Amino acid sequence: MTTTTVVKVQGQRRLENYLPPEGVPISFDIAGLGARLGAQMLDLIITFGGVLVFLLLLNWANILGGNAFATLYFLLIFFVRIPYYILSELVWNGRTLGKRIVRIRVISVDGTRLTPYQITARNLMKEVEVFTPITMLFGATGFAWPVATAMLLWVFGVLVVPFLNKRRQRLGDMIAGTIVVDQPKAVLLPDLTQTEGQGAGARFVFDPSHLGIYGRYELQTLEQILRDPPKTPQARARVAEVCVTILKKIDYPEPVEHREQWEFLHEFYRQQREYLESRHLFGDSRENKFHAKTKKQDISN
Amino acid sequence: MTVQPTTPVSDDAIRSARFRREREAGWKRLDELVARAEKRGVQGMSYEDTLALASLYRQAMNSLSVARAISMDKALLTYLEALCARAYLVVYAPQESVTGVLGRLFSHGIPQAFRRTQVALFVGFLALILGAFTGYVLYGQDPAWFFTFVPPDLSDGRTPEASAEYLRRTLFDDGALTGGTMGVFASLLFSHNTQVAILIFALGIFVTLPSFVLTYYNGLILGAFYAMFAQAGLGYELLGWLSIHGVTELAAICIACAGGAQLGLAVLLPGNRTRRAALSERGRDAVKLMILAGLMLIVAAFVEGFLRQLVQSTEMRLAIGWGLGLAWFGWLMLSGREGRRA
Repeated sequence: MTTTTVVKVQGQRRLENYLPPEGVPISFDIAGLGARLGAQMLDLIITFGGVLVFLLLLNWANILGGNAFATLYFLLIFFVRIPYYILSELVWNGRTLGKRIVRIRVISVDGTRLTPYQITARNLMKEVEVFTPITMLFGATGFAWPVATAMLLWVFGVLVVPFLNKRRQRLGDMIAGTIVVDQPKAVLLPDLTQTEGQGAGARFVFDPSHLGIYGRYELQTLEQILRDPPKTPQARARVAEVCVTILKKIDYPEPVEHREQWEFLHEFYRQQREYLESRHLFGDSRENKFHAKTKKQDISN
Repeated sequence: MTVQPTTPVSDDAIRSARFRREREAGWKRLDELVARAEKRGVQGMSYEDTLALASLYRQAMNSLSVARAISMDKALLTYLEALCARAYLVVYAPQESVTGVLGRLFSHGIPQAFRRTQVALFVGFLALILGAFTGYVLYGQDPAWFFTFVPPDLSDGRTPEASAEYLRRTLFDDGALTGGTMGVFASLLFSHNTQVAILIFALGIFVTLPSFVLTYYNGLILGAFYAMFAQAGLGYELLGWLSIHGVTELAAICIACAGGAQLGLAVLLPGNRTRRAALSERGRDAVKLMILAGLMLIVAAFVEGFLRQLVQSTEMRLAIGWGLGLAWFGWLMLSGREGRRA
């Protein structure tokens, strides 16, 4: 069935190995339960608030007679429960108004497109998971204690389900085979090897003994540092510290002056990346600075 | 043969940077198209743009795959992944037309689902029939049971103490419902009944039991009512009063219960699969049963709101009610069969 896995990176759950028909796995951030609760609240406020305002306006304008007004009232109250969610998710591809505002959406868990069946199924279950509990909570005062206890258990049971599974699915999601994810944001940052002062640091020459120390992990950490130019004295001190550490680790022969450190790091990044990428193409992938050790282990195994 | 890149590339650019330069324009264009499609949907886009969207999406997927192999630029990989995910969601949006979906649902989907789910339907109808039987028998032993089963606002004065004359009056010409109030009554009935049906359906996930109990309880009320009217010598008239809408309405409740049972049985008896897999597989038929129940409730509300007041003869009421039932049954049994050659 599904090949997806859930990985937790820095407190954020990611759905990985999601396989679109093109066969290139992509990943999604699984929406936080807070965001989902917020979207649900917004939807409730929008729908019931909208109906209220609409009816008040009609009442004020006094267009409809009492009977037509009552008929409209019953139909609208029915509509804003289940049908609104089904229709809006159908029309906006897995997004209700509330979900649009908090930037989350429903996707099918197996990489295929979202079907009308899935949308209907996951929203029909809302009756048990959202509406009936809310209605009961408002009217809960008049119940005998066994009924009240049963209702509390029910509400608790429904609320706890998303916490108990890794994909944060509620009951409706499980039946429909859907999952709620964050809307992906794509921001293209400039390529660090192409940006500022081409050749400014070209006087730094690294030979393979300098470039053979680090691996992908250190390279990408350096990338993060370089993407955030230092503005405060503390930040500048930290960059200097990084630079000195690298100089010591790779045993670079020449001294690097303080004002040249930023260019040095840029040039080191450029040449290190070129070196690692070409090693990678030749089948010598270096994940981190322990690559030499792990390789020995591989051989001895 | 060498392919000249369209943008001038500085000689000392490293391989992955050249790769990015050659394709960046395409990604930017895709980004823009996706943003437009997200806002206004693919329907509002021109033919060329839609075509470009599809092909640029596949190119971006290709770029992602290659970038993973050759580039160690984290920012690039993150960007491409997010771009592909966004484009994927736009390109693989549901594209069925509403009429097509509904057409298929009515011609094949619902009738086939109905025929496939005999066990669940048995459970659903059994719940109501058992309930009605229990209600009838218990009332026969002690009419006081009536007050246990039937909430006061539902009975509306129709209690065991009421005179036969009063009971008869409730069955015919019930009050001064005019054309306008009939519509209100019908919409109230529809809204209320559908919510009850959805509740019965959705509760089925808790291993069927709550659905069964709720339907059984509906049966109890029915049985007690019938016993009360039968004692007053009005059994036949009540049958007519109930049948005209009840055949459809009660069947809808049973079918909603069957939908719930379908879910509950998947949880209870998943067979060789995981519960999650069983749920998502049997859920398909369950949802179709629920849609069927909703449809029947619309019809039932219409009949109850309008026709029951307009049609006063018991024979006509029986004919309409059971005729309607037969029509439902015929549709569900005959429609959507694959043509078999003799």
